[in-house]
Formats: sequence, C-alpha cells, structure tokens
Amino acid sequence: MNGASVYVAIAVVLAALFAYLAARRRREPIAIDKARALMGLLDIEAFRNLVDPGEEAFLRSSLPPDQFRTIQRERAWAALAYVRTLSDIALEFSCFGHAALRSPDPRLVELGRQVAAGAVRLRLDALKASGRLFVAATFPGLPQRCPHSLFDQYERSTDLLLRYSALNRL
Amino acid sequence: MMHGHRLLLYYLWIAPHAVLAVVAVLLLTRRLYTRFPVFFLYTWNEIVEFVLLFAITVIGHNQGALYARVFLITFVISTALRFGVLQEIFNNVFREHGQVDALARVSLRWTTGLLLAGAVLCAIFASGQTADNLTAGLAWVGRGVAIIQCGLVLFLLLFSRLFGLSLQSYVFGIALGFGILSTVDLANWALHTRELTESMASALDLLPTGGYHVAVLIWLGYLVVPAREILRPSDVRVGDVGQWNQELERFLR
Repeated sequence: MNGASVYVAIAVVLAALFAYLAARRRREPIAIDKARALMGLLDIEAFRNLVDPGEEAFLRSSLPPDQFRTIQRERAWAALAYVRTLSDIALEFSCFGHAALRSPDPRLVELGRQVAAGAVRLRLDALKASGRLFVAATFPGLPQRCPHSLFDQYERSTDLLLRYSALNRL
Repeated sequence: MMHGHRLLLYYLWIAPHAVLAVVAVLLLTRRLYTRFPVFFLYTWNEIVEFVLLFAITVIGHNQGALYARVFLITFVISTALRFGVLQEIFNNVFREHGQVDALARVSLRWTTGLLLAGAVLCAIFASGQTADNLTAGLAWVGRGVAIIQCGLVLFLLLFSRLFGLSLQSYVFGIALGFGILSTVDLANWALHTRELTESMASALDLLPTGGYHVAVLIWLGYLVVPAREILRPSDVRVGDVGQWNQELERFLR
C-alpha cells in the first residue's frame, strides 16, 4: 500500500465519519424524560458522601494505610460512576436548553439559554471532576478535593429546569 | 466516451458554481452575511474565480500560462478564506459559553499546531514519486492544507458534541460541507503527488469538482430546509413538578 492509498483511505474514513455525525443529529424531538430518568438514578447524597473530605479524613485516621488505600480506591471508582451519570444528565440538559431556544415564547427562550449555559458549565465541571477522581483512584493516598462547584451547578441546573416546567405549564 | 467525459467535466465545473450563486443570494437575502461575513466572501470569491477561469478557458488565448497564474492566486485566496470560515464557525459556536470558549480556543490552538506539524511531517517523510512541476508542488501544499482542515472540522464537530452544543442547522451545514470538501481535497491532492496515467488523470479531474458539487448542495440544503421544531413542550405533566420538588428537597437535605 503506497502513501497515496493511505491518504485516500483516511479521506474515505473521514468522509464516512462526517456523514455519520450528520445522520446522528437528533431526528426525534427532545424531551426532558431522559434527563429526568437519569436524575432518578443519581443518589446525590451518596455521591456527596463519597467525595466528602471529612469522611475521607475519618477513614484515614481509623483504618490502616493499606486498607485505607483499598477503600479509597473503591470510593473513587464509585464516585467516578456518579460523575459519569451527572455528565450524561448535563448533556441532556444542554440539548434540552438549546432546543428551548427555538421556542416561540421569549420567556422560555431566555430560560432555555440559562439552562443551556448552566448545563455546559455542569458538563465542564463533571469532566474536570472525572479527571480528578481518576487521579484519586490511581493514587488513593493523595488527599481529595470535594467538587463543590459540581454540586452547586447541578442544583442551579435542576432549579432552572423546575422553573422551565412551571413556566411551560402556564 | 470522450464526449461524455467532457460533458460531465463541464457540468461538474459549471453546476456547483450556479448552486453556489444561489447560496450567496440566500446569505444576502436572509442577512446571514452579518453572522458569516467570511463565508459570504468565500462564496463570492469562488464565483469570481470560476468566472475568470472559465472565461480564460473559453477565450483560449495563451490560456496555459494565464490560467495557471490565475489559478494559483485564487487558490491561495480560497485557502486563506477557508481557514477564515472555520474560525468564524468556532467563534459563532463557542462565544456564548465563557469557560468552554476559553477551553475551545486553547484546544483549537493545540489542535491546529499538531495538525500543522503532522502535515509538515507527512510532506517530509512521504516518498517522492512526483515529477518536478507546478502541479506536484501544489499537490504537496494542497494535501497539507486538506489534512489541517479535515482535522479542524472533525475537532469542531466532536468538541461541540462533547458539550451538547447544538449547532444551528446552517452552521452545521457549513461545517459539514467544508468537511466533505476537505476529505475530497485530501484524496485528490494525495493522488496528484504520484505519477498518473492519462486515463487516471482524466478520471481524477472529476473528483474535486464532484466533491465540490456535493459540498455546495449540502450548504444549499441546510440553508433551504427549515430547522425542525425539536422540543416537545407537553412533556411536563402535573405530577412531574412534584417529583422534581422531591428530588430537590432530597438534594438540599
């Protein structure tokens, strides 16, 4: 296979990828059902406990180092699973917020803009938290930081969705 | 057979530019040139380029040298404008999202740097099978540009998807059109870096114009077909708000 054939093969793969991305653009109407279902799966209190520095300090002081590292690694992996769900919720919120921008009602448009902006920040926070938790799972001995901004942003986003639904019912 | 090939060649040269003229007029009438001034400029530049090159071909007076000169100048302008359009799309998509905008700008800079390095390395290490002429030199440059543009379009589509940023229909259309155009350019210029038989060269003549035709049709399609109403407003039932309240209360506890 010569050099030109390699480039042609790359071009064909890329063209197919672009076509796939175009085809995958949402065809069906966006609803909040999926975000709600994901919210139901997320036990935010359990997640908060998993990344609570106080809880971590307690475990560090009461367990032998080896056992602490094992437990801490498991806690980090579990927290990572929660962050993934939160990240998926953020993606759904974002899609929903952007779709609301096309609403004929200017109040819903404004709220949709806020939902979308909040969701994008939530997604970004979730990605950052994923990175930190991955490090924490790899090096369980290191002290962990609580992702406060992630919880704050989640609270703000759910509040905005609540306002959206209330406004939509009027 | 030759007559049919020539007819197809002319069709694929003329038709995309006729469609592009419609795109340019639509951008004008819908005032989209205010949001996409570089893309607007790009469409008119392509039309002017076509008129010039077509006129030189039809008139036929000393056409070889003049054609090559005009082609080179317009190729440089067109390439610069394409990069401008991609930058314009990035600005439109990310400017409303402060933190993501900053991240996108940094990532874009790194991606462009890496793609540029990749294109240069490909040019250095690729085997030299070309005749030493203008077309071969142009092919090396064209292939490098196509690599960078393909990468940038891919980065744009994947990065916006990562954050659930909804690209407006025509913004997506412009990006997709450039994506297809760049992949066709990549294949076309890569094949031009090697010696070609006459039949292969004549077949290859159809590739860039054919790809261009597809890209222009994509731009027109996404401009003409209205964006779908994709939000279902009646999803929230009376009981939902109560359920959400419970979720929030649980969260605040």
